[in-house]
Amino acid sequence: MKTKMKSISVPKIFLAGGVILACLAVPALSSSYMLRVFNMAMIAYLCVLSVYVLLGMCGQNSFAQAGLWGTGAYITANVVLKLGCSSLTAFVISVAGTALFAFVLGFAFFRLRQYYFTFASVGLMTILNGLFMNWTEFTGGALGLSNIPAFTIGSFSLESEIWKYVMILPVCVIASLLMKVLFRSSLGRSFMAIRDNEMAANCLGVNSLLTKSIAFAISGALCGAAGALYAFLSGYLSYQSFTYQQSTMYLIMIMLGGTASPTGAIIGTLIISLLQEWVRPLQNYMQLIYGAGIMILMIVQPEGILGGGKAFYEKRIKRKKAYTPAE
Amino acid sequence: MKSASKEKKLILQLSDVCKRFGGVVAADQITLELYGGETFGLIGPNGAGKTTLLNLITGIYASSSGTIMLNGKNITKLPTHKRARLGIARTFQHPRLLDGCDIRTNILMGVDLANKRKRKSEEEVGKDMGMLLECAGLQNVNLEDSIEKLSYGQQKMLEIVRALLSEPAVLLLDEPAAGLNEKEMEYIVRLIQAAVEKEIAVLLIEHAMDLVMGICDRLTVLNFGHQITTGTPEEVQANEEVIAAYLGGGNDA
Repeated sequence: MKTKMKSISVPKIFLAGGVILACLAVPALSSSYMLRVFNMAMIAYLCVLSVYVLLGMCGQNSFAQAGLWGTGAYITANVVLKLGCSSLTAFVISVAGTALFAFVLGFAFFRLRQYYFTFASVGLMTILNGLFMNWTEFTGGALGLSNIPAFTIGSFSLESEIWKYVMILPVCVIASLLMKVLFRSSLGRSFMAIRDNEMAANCLGVNSLLTKSIAFAISGALCGAAGALYAFLSGYLSYQSFTYQQSTMYLIMIMLGGTASPTGAIIGTLIISLLQEWVRPLQNYMQLIYGAGIMILMIVQPEGILGGGKAFYEKRIKRKKAYTPAE
Repeated sequence: MKSASKEKKLILQLSDVCKRFGGVVAADQITLELYGGETFGLIGPNGAGKTTLLNLITGIYASSSGTIMLNGKNITKLPTHKRARLGIARTFQHPRLLDGCDIRTNILMGVDLANKRKRKSEEEVGKDMGMLLECAGLQNVNLEDSIEKLSYGQQKMLEIVRALLSEPAVLLLDEPAAGLNEKEMEYIVRLIQAAVEKEIAVLLIEHAMDLVMGICDRLTVLNFGHQITTGTPEEVQANEEVIAAYLGGGNDA
């Protein structure tokens, strides 16, 4: 009990207070358009969080996250439009369905060693995008699926942008807290063991295939949640949203923020999402800016903004000190 | 660890274990028996197949023929993680720790493995952890610090602590004393003593002959994958074939 009390330090209380204030300030100070930008950023954040689990924690790189996001979105749209289920049921089915889908694929893909999973994920993304474009019954084909109703609780529909913000924010908060729990759990440790040294992990009783598949399933669940929320937010789904480029964008976001924690995912997502709005006149040059920016970042600060900040703190403020062998 | 002989439990049994890499025979009909609370040495010149044998026991390599039994169960075909769960723990020649994690996370990996067999209370874990960290001279480290703040020797010690916290039946140590100073060697001996007290069978690969001859109850000598002899340190030291192949004139091979 004593240690639990100790762990809630004053800076943490201030930080938590600051985050709550920022969450309240966004809808109060933003226009409807900017609120939509923030809503989209929060959905992207869930996908980036999925990259954090898979790459940051488990060391496996996937280019199929946008495909999983799309899978979640189309599941929600179909469950709501064709089966007439409630919004919450559709959300749960999307999360569970995408997680299961990812788990099964992971179980097949992770038999491949080293970076071949990444290659397989590129293939998966291509196939999924092809399916989204051509599987007319499920995705509406090139025309897409429209008239997806907003999230509804009882008879109350969360139509306005601010209500959509209220719908998405708690999911992001819960997902972030769950990531914290995962990080401290034995499952999280087995992810990190695989990332840092797979052979040692096996010698410590970690089943590589199962553990990596679970990591992919958790990342699928996050993408499924993001997809469901996107379907409710947008009301219209097009295959053009769920592309290989979008998967790459999630990777760029986490590379920018840092792969070490969900905070890196938040920083990366916010910077890229807001940057896209602020430099809209330069849209034609965005790919160039991202490419050059990432190359410079990887040379100057490969651990991302958060990693760089931490290193600076350790070096300048805490002063790095190695232990001398004990007497 | 040399002790008054009493009825010991057979833990690990290798029968005619072979490993071939193409035409090279890295392990040639190795037969060993390890008992609980026994320290068993595995010595031989570089390239003799010592680490290969450890890899065969842990399942990193599949054996070409022969059987490996752990507590009466045939584990020859089991994958590495299943063998670990049944009680085979090991360390590596160069410590393989989770570089991206703090010291506590590394230690907890061992606890997680023990918990897969039988859940322990936090109090028990804390007590064991404290005792082992003290044996390893790591009692003053901050567990929240990253691995890179530990010296090479401390990292090797931490790897043994992690292995012991997994409560194994067998502990395989691959050159634990290599690159360590005398003080650190003492910690290694203390950790091996702690393992023996828990009735763990310890298999020790080591080139430091003083350490091997001093603490091993029995040992076997390998040369080119072939088992030259097995016996007590005195018997092995007197064996002419061993002297010719490995020990030479002195004890510093």
